[in-house]
Amino acid sequence: MTEKTTTDDLIAKLSAEPAPAPTASPEAMLLRRMALGFGGTLVLFFTLLGPRPQLGLAMTDPVVLAKTALPFVLALLALPLALNAARPAAPRGWQAQAIWVLPMAALSLFMLAYATHAPADRLRLFVGHSIPVCMPAIVTLSLPVTAALISILRRGAPLNPPVCGALAGLVAGGLATTVYSTFCTEDSPLFYSVWYSLGIAMAAGVGAWAGRRWLTW
Amino acid sequence: MDPQMTTRDELWSDLLRRALAGDGPCYARFLHEATPVIRKIARARCTVEAEVEDIVQEVLLAVHAKRHTWRSDQPVSPWLYAIARYKAADAARRRRVAVPIEDVVETLEDEAAGDVTAARDLARLLDGIDPRAAGIVRAVGVEGESAGEVGARLGMSEGAVRVAYHRAMTKLRRMAEAEDD
Repeated sequence: MTEKTTTDDLIAKLSAEPAPAPTASPEAMLLRRMALGFGGTLVLFFTLLGPRPQLGLAMTDPVVLAKTALPFVLALLALPLALNAARPAAPRGWQAQAIWVLPMAALSLFMLAYATHAPADRLRLFVGHSIPVCMPAIVTLSLPVTAALISILRRGAPLNPPVCGALAGLVAGGLATTVYSTFCTEDSPLFYSVWYSLGIAMAAGVGAWAGRRWLTW
Repeated sequence: MDPQMTTRDELWSDLLRRALAGDGPCYARFLHEATPVIRKIARARCTVEAEVEDIVQEVLLAVHAKRHTWRSDQPVSPWLYAIARYKAADAARRRRVAVPIEDVVETLEDEAAGDVTAARDLARLLDGIDPRAAGIVRAVGVEGESAGEVGARLGMSEGAVRVAYHRAMTKLRRMAEAEDD
């Protein structure tokens, strides 16, 4: 039984080092890396876009505030989900249900705006004037945060790397959209609940790809 | 040991909790107790008995490398099984892809030595898989064509030929093993 002995040898070797390094867990580096990633997003934002004029005034309208607040809450809820996805057999947490409130809220805002606008205005507001800026900007702004999160989650053990990566992308997309929304002057949910959502979905797609590439272990 | 710790999971959780706090003997005992379970999981995913122990060791290394991902307020068994299943499946998959090349070499050597039985066995086994895959095995494994040449002839990329070839060899190996059993 030589094989038996080598397994025993391995166990003896491993048990010489029982305690993991204090910085081993994904959470240990979370704040520092996220600050770095989000810092990168802010640098990109102020270099390429910058806030709209009279941002504070615009934000007093709850419908305008929603386009900043909803993606931020999305990011807050997706973050623990991404971290849990990197721990085998960890319970998913209440956020897994709560996060569905956000697409439902976006859909409700869309329907409300649809119902309260004249048919002639609906298409104009829906198409807007900045789709070619909006979605590439959201994806671009999300990249530093996605990179930061993937580098953290690599310390974990995601059983489904693409899903874990997609959740990281969702966090990044949410934060990127939060920032982007302070530049964007398209204030109708007919625009933002569709195109922001698509931008966030694309960021999640990038995360899923990155997860498949870098989160396998 | 505390008499209340009746279930295995409570015992293992306690051992790993102590291990993570720096207790080496507890860690050794945890790994020893977990090994038979890991071996069972490895055996379910790998039919080649000689490779099972390698997979067990890979899983043990993974458990070690990822031991900080267990939350000590959670039961430890689901965590351990999840890692074992993920790693064992991964290791078994890599072996299935890696082994066939050596098998081909053996087949070719057999043929060179004029072992008619092996050649006839291969021909018969090839009849059992789909003709396109069999053609690829003949071209690459027997005729010695390169994957690029075969791909150009069949309108496939070189990579696709390699993948098809490996899949076919895996299947052939399984068929041969099934006959041997």
